[in-house]
Amino acid sequence: MKRFIYGLLLFAFLAMPPIVSFLESHMLLHMHVQMPLLAFAGMLWTPFLQAKFPRFFSRWNEDGVPGIVLVSLVVTYWILPRAMDEAIQFSSVEVFKFISWPFFVGVAMKDSWKKLKGRQRLFSTLYFSFIYGVMGFVYIFAEEQLCNNYLIVEQRLLGWSFLAISLGAAFYRLHNEALKKRDAAAGRKTKFGS
Amino acid sequence: MLHLRDKQISLIILVCFGFFLFFYGTDGFTAFTAEKARTNKLLEEKPRLPEVTLEDSMGRKYGFEAFSDKYIFMTFFYTGCTTVCPQLERNVAKVYEQIPENHLGEDIVFLSVSFDPKKDVPEVLKRYGSHFGSDEETWRLARVPKEGELKQLLDEFGVIAIPIGDGDFQHNVAFYLVDRKGFLIDVMDYNDIGGAVERVMEVLDRTKEG
Repeated sequence: MKRFIYGLLLFAFLAMPPIVSFLESHMLLHMHVQMPLLAFAGMLWTPFLQAKFPRFFSRWNEDGVPGIVLVSLVVTYWILPRAMDEAIQFSSVEVFKFISWPFFVGVAMKDSWKKLKGRQRLFSTLYFSFIYGVMGFVYIFAEEQLCNNYLIVEQRLLGWSFLAISLGAAFYRLHNEALKKRDAAAGRKTKFGS
Repeated sequence: MLHLRDKQISLIILVCFGFFLFFYGTDGFTAFTAEKARTNKLLEEKPRLPEVTLEDSMGRKYGFEAFSDKYIFMTFFYTGCTTVCPQLERNVAKVYEQIPENHLGEDIVFLSVSFDPKKDVPEVLKRYGSHFGSDEETWRLARVPKEGELKQLLDEFGVIAIPIGDGDFQHNVAFYLVDRKGFLIDVMDYNDIGGAVERVMEVLDRTKEG
């Protein structure tokens, strides 16, 4: 319950107009701070929602695959240059952002991740690394302005951050898998469960 | 095996959701950036030139009706620009030079509109235009002195100019072709001079026949 309230507070904070306009004033803050924090608020709500609707989650997201597919779709949509522009331009897209990140990314991710098998986790991480890497290259090397609301300098910066996250996530996951394998070979139970 | 089927149903729903999300989000997979969407939409909507008062490099003031019954080859720029605008106006000059003289001023007018009216006063426009070979008659440079009118024109034609400090703007760049009734009919790549000349000649020839 406590976590749920923290999530609500975070969400309310992020929805405050001055905070919205500040976080959207820079491309990097928009993509890598505002959107992930919205997802984080959703994650904080998840235990409460799971307790409230246990059948919904076990029935429709039994093995975590539908959930992670939803996360992949929504994240892939949001990294399109156009999505960020339209969130600023059209309030309907902005509302969709404030719904899709907490629920379709945050809640879905939190509910799915533990249910996924190691291999599925690895695959998911590599997928996110891949699309982030591609977007990194696109944003770094694009000659023209991809987002009308942001400058090319910011676009490059965002590109590098995409690339950093992409590499970081891939290395982290691969390293974890390697550790797990080593520990399994040594017959110990790993603490890197998730 | 009911659980298995539910899982599959949710996957099918999600795939459909994803398809619609991307379909609507990219106008049927045609526009992945807002700029592309803007151009597509402009060409579809064919906005009309709003009523504004222009002030040209000779200090003359008039509205777009001064060009009624003529095509207008428009660009948007500011003289303080050191990067893309000189390139843009050089390219305008190249297009201008390739249009047969008998059409110039008769069937088509070249008009470069500054979106920095504070700095781009008539004298500044005059000096700037002379570098590129503007004759101030068939190729005019002008500013829109009234801020509200300028904003309306830029919005209508989807021109985005963000001030980035030091008097500079980051802005989108294109050739705009307006028909004789004041409707936007084409937005062209400013680097494709041959394509622009071809397009202009095509509409001019069609006018002659019709």
